[in-house]
Amino acid sequence: MELLNQISENLQNGFDEKVAALTKEAVEKQIQPEEILNNGLVAGMNIIGRKFKNHEIFLPDVLLAARAMNCAMEVLKPLLIKEGIPIRGKVVIGSVKDDLHDIGKNLVAILLEGAGFEIIDLGNDVPADKFIRVAREENADVIGMSALLTTTMPVMKKVVDLVKDEGLYGKIKIIVGGAPVSKEYALEIGADAYSFDGANAVETVESFFPKRGS
Amino acid sequence: MRSIVDFASEDVSLDRAAILRSQGVPDEAELSENFEKIYIKATELFRELAESKGIIAGITTSRFEEVFRGEGLNEKRNPVEEIYRNSSYLALFAVTLGPVLSSRVTELFNAGDYAPGYMLDSVSSYAADKLAYLAAEHLEAELAGGEAPAVSCRVLSYSPGYCGWHISGQKKLFEALYPEEIGITLNESCLMTPIKSVSGVLIAGPGEIHEFVNSYPFCNTCAARSCIERMRSL
Ligand code: B12
Repeated sequence: MELLNQISENLQNGFDEKVAALTKEAVEKQIQPEEILNNGLVAGMNIIGRKFKNHEIFLPDVLLAARAMNCAMEVLKPLLIKEGIPIRGKVVIGSVKDDLHDIGKNLVAILLEGAGFEIIDLGNDVPADKFIRVAREENADVIGMSALLTTTMPVMKKVVDLVKDEGLYGKIKIIVGGAPVSKEYALEIGADAYSFDGANAVETVESFFPKRGS
Repeated sequence: MRSIVDFASEDVSLDRAAILRSQGVPDEAELSENFEKIYIKATELFRELAESKGIIAGITTSRFEEVFRGEGLNEKRNPVEEIYRNSSYLALFAVTLGPVLSSRVTELFNAGDYAPGYMLDSVSSYAADKLAYLAAEHLEAELAGGEAPAVSCRVLSYSPGYCGWHISGQKKLFEALYPEEIGITLNESCLMTPIKSVSGVLIAGPGEIHEFVNSYPFCNTCAARSCIERMRSL
C-alpha cells in the first residue's frame, strides 16, 4: 500500500516529523495499527538493519531512523495497547552499579526499541537487586546489563546469582555487553548471551523469542 | 614540577577519518547527507563546550615504583615496567574534557536526538584520547626548556587499564597526583568522572625505550591495540 511504503521510506531517511504525520494519516484512514506497525515502520527498520549490516549506511543513520520510529510509536502505542496487540517482549536494561558510562547501553536500548521490544531503561549505576526487582514487577522477559570497566563486571554475576536464587533462571533471559565483557565471561557467570554491539544484541534478543507470526 | 594546563579546544585537532573509523566507518565509505551534517554539528558543539584541562606532576622513579605497584594486581611481565625503568623523566598526569560535554550528550539522548548525541560522544572520546597526547607534547616541550624538543627525548603516555598495568593502579595514582584539583574524581570501581578523562604516567626517554613487541599474553584480549600506532609515531 502506497501510504505504508511512504512511511517506510521516510523512516529510512530519518524524517521523523513526516513519519509521525503519515502514521496519523494512516490511522485516520482506518488502516489497522498492527498493519501500520508491521508493513510500514518495522518494514522500514528491517531495510535499515540490512543496509547497516552491509555497511551501506552507518550508526547515525540507523539512529535517525530509530528516532522516526519512536515518534510514530507515540501515535500507535495507545492504539496497539487498546487492541490488546501483544508486544514483542520486555527488556529491563541498565549499566551496572558504579558504572556511569551509558552510551553503549543507550544504543542497545534504542535499537531494541526500534525492533519492537518494550524497554525499561534503569539508567546507570544500577545495583544488582534493582535489576531483579524491576524485572519481577514489570514481568520482563530479558535483563540486559552493560559495563565499561572490568571492575564493575562482578555486579553482572551478582544479578545472575540473584535470578537463580529467585527461581527465575531460564524464565528471564540475561544478556550482557560492554567494552571489557566477552562471550567467555558471559558463559562463566551463567548469562544466557553476550553481544558485541547493538545490531548483534537485537539479533540475539530476537532469538530468545519465537518468530513473529509463528 | 607540577602544573595545571588549560588546553585550547583548537589545539585538539580532530582527525575526521580516525573518528569515523572508531564508529566502524571505513575510509572510502560514502556518507549520507544527514551523516555529514551531524558530524559537522558535533565538531562545532565540541569546540563550544570542551573545557579541556590537564594536570602534570613530575615524580621520582622510586616514588613511581610504589604508585605503579598499586594494589599489587599488575601482570607479572608487562612492558610499562621495562619502559619506565629506562626513562630519563617521569610525570603523573590526568586530563579531562570537563563535565559539560558529557551532560550535553546525555541531554541529547534524553531528548531523542540519538544520532547527534552519539556523534558528540564519539568526537569527545577521540578528543579525550588526544588530550593525553597533548599532555605528552607539553611535557616534551617543557623538558626541552624552550628549545626544540631533543630527538633523543620522546614522551609517551601510559595508563592504568592498558599494557598490563592494572586499572586499580588509579587509586595510588590519584593519591599521588590529586587530579581532584582540576575536577576529576575516582569512584570505588576506578571509574573517573567526568567520563571523558584519562589518567596515567608520562614517560620521557630516548624513542627506543618505548618500543616493545606486543606479544604479552594479555595483548590477545586487548580491545585497544593503540600501541602499534603509538610506536609508529616515534
Ligand atoms: C573510547 C574509549 C575511551 C574514551 C571514552 C570513554 C567513554 N566510554 O566514554 C576515553 C579516552 C575517555 C577513555 C578513558 C578510559 N579508558 Co577507555 N576505552 C575506549 C574504547 C576505545 C572504546 C569505548 C567506547 O566508548 N566505545 C563506543 C561505545 C558506543 O561502545 P560500548 O560502550 O562498548 O558499547 C557497545 C558494545 O560494547 C555493546 N554493549 C554495550 N553495553 C551493552 C549492554 C548489553 C546488554 C549488550 C547486549 C551490549 C552492550 O553495544 C554497544 C553499542 O555497539 C575502549 C576499547 C574498545 N575498543 O572498546 C577503551 C576501554 C573501555 N578503556 C579502558 C580504560 C582502561 C580506560 C581508562 C581507565 C584509562 C585511564 N587510566 O585513563 C579511562 C577510564 C575513563 C573513566 N571515565 O573512568 C579499557 C578498560 C579495561 C578494563 N580493565 O576495564 C578499554 C576496554 C581498553 C583496553 N585497555 O582494552 N576510554
